[in-house]
Amino acid sequence: MVELVPTLLRQELARLAEVGARLDGREQWEARKIVLETDCLYNGEGSAKVTWGDTIIYAGVKFEMRTPWPDRPNEGSLMCSAELRPIAGRKYEPGPPSPESIELGRVVDRGIRESGCIDMENLCIVPGEKVWGVMIDIHVLSDQGNMFDACALAAIAALRTAIVPAERFDVGEDYTLQVKSTPIMASFTRVGGRYVFDPSAEEELGGDERIHITLGDEGHLHSLQKGLKGVFTPEEFAEIFDVAQSRCVDLRKLVANQEGN
Amino acid sequence: MGGYGDIKLLREDGLRLDGRKIDEMRPIEIEAGILPGADGSAWVKHGLNIAVAAVYGPMEAHPRKIQRQDRCVIDVRYNMAPFSTSERIRPGYNRRSREISKVTAEALESVVICERYPRSKIRVEIEILSAEAGTRCAGITAAAVALADAGIPMRDLLVGVASGKVEGIVVLDLDKAEDNYGQADLPVGILPNTGEIAFLQMDGDLSPDEFNLAMEYNFKGAAEIHEIMVDALRRRYEGGEN
Repeated sequence: MVELVPTLLRQELARLAEVGARLDGREQWEARKIVLETDCLYNGEGSAKVTWGDTIIYAGVKFEMRTPWPDRPNEGSLMCSAELRPIAGRKYEPGPPSPESIELGRVVDRGIRESGCIDMENLCIVPGEKVWGVMIDIHVLSDQGNMFDACALAAIAALRTAIVPAERFDVGEDYTLQVKSTPIMASFTRVGGRYVFDPSAEEELGGDERIHITLGDEGHLHSLQKGLKGVFTPEEFAEIFDVAQSRCVDLRKLVANQEGN
Repeated sequence: MGGYGDIKLLREDGLRLDGRKIDEMRPIEIEAGILPGADGSAWVKHGLNIAVAAVYGPMEAHPRKIQRQDRCVIDVRYNMAPFSTSERIRPGYNRRSREISKVTAEALESVVICERYPRSKIRVEIEILSAEAGTRCAGITAAAVALADAGIPMRDLLVGVASGKVEGIVVLDLDKAEDNYGQADLPVGILPNTGEIAFLQMDGDLSPDEFNLAMEYNFKGAAEIHEIMVDALRRRYEGGEN
């Protein structure tokens, strides 16, 4: 098992990086196959499934009615959280949320929130009394690399299909949630000394730090995060930022195509 | 009968609200081997329920105090996703999922040849992605297919199935309305080849005769589900897919 020999794996990844190759034969910035399905869960007000290589993610949107925060009487709320259940892989243990799953949920949350794709004032039902709380729950069924991008894709795709269940709460007719844009995350992991897009599970195991970039429709930055041990230069960032721009455009098309169906 | 207000669960023509006959199950689809990182896995769609099960192991059992010298332990976690029901479920363990996990583990320990793996542990993870009454049964069925997919020897393929009573009539495989407004629910885990029962729960009100009829329906349903389970494993292992 590769898990037992990360030193050998690291040597192999470094050797491959020198000749510009990857373990599974992909190019440096090439993604694995990505399949997006939406509206796939009966009880989710919005839902999506992402199969990204061997990584499998579900996201579901639920609404709750709550009283607004006193300082923001006209605003609803949005929360995105991720659960890394033990089903996701051999290394995942049961127990309270791990720091890793909290980071995952929060990084995805920031990208969606800060893009402004949801107008919080649109979530107001009765000012000062009733607002919608939108909850996006991400459920990781299989972690085989690049969970962050897959989770962010599932979350925004689910949100974009969400129907506000007004009838069930006796406040009018159901309507489609207004989502103004499509924030997309692209992440890069240092493998064998250089960055690659969409690391596999083995590349993550033998790799170093990762950088997550969330971009809006106009290519503006909405969230950044560096995770794990390692450092990078501004030049390196400039390079992956360029790649992120084009990867995000591709992924956004995937969401748009799904909605077109 | 009934006495549950205006809710009618049986139609004038004797069929159920969704058009099923009294002893007819909801449609069932099963796929084996859907999670590439697990040693065994299965996806079960039973009506609108979706259950996914993964098996990891056999692996070393730790901490050591849970080890059994002569057999393996089976560690089951049944969990409902927050978006699986109409009201969001707060993540984390609750009393219901803990109880279901416990009795499911005991049912699976009754069919797995545990003596083959002394001092080991087999992890069975059951995730309910969509719930519409009968999730524990869909979970048991998924777990059994996942265990078979993992190549773990068992005395039989355990099948989860339930019958119940609505408006005084015993029916097979309750859906959500029938479960909410019905009078009894009898979920069981059946070994279809030996005719034994490894999982049993019940709540509500059943006469001895109604119980016998509900059990008869359960065995009939189990035979049907068993065929679909075997077919899923065949598709995975008889060439073709994967």
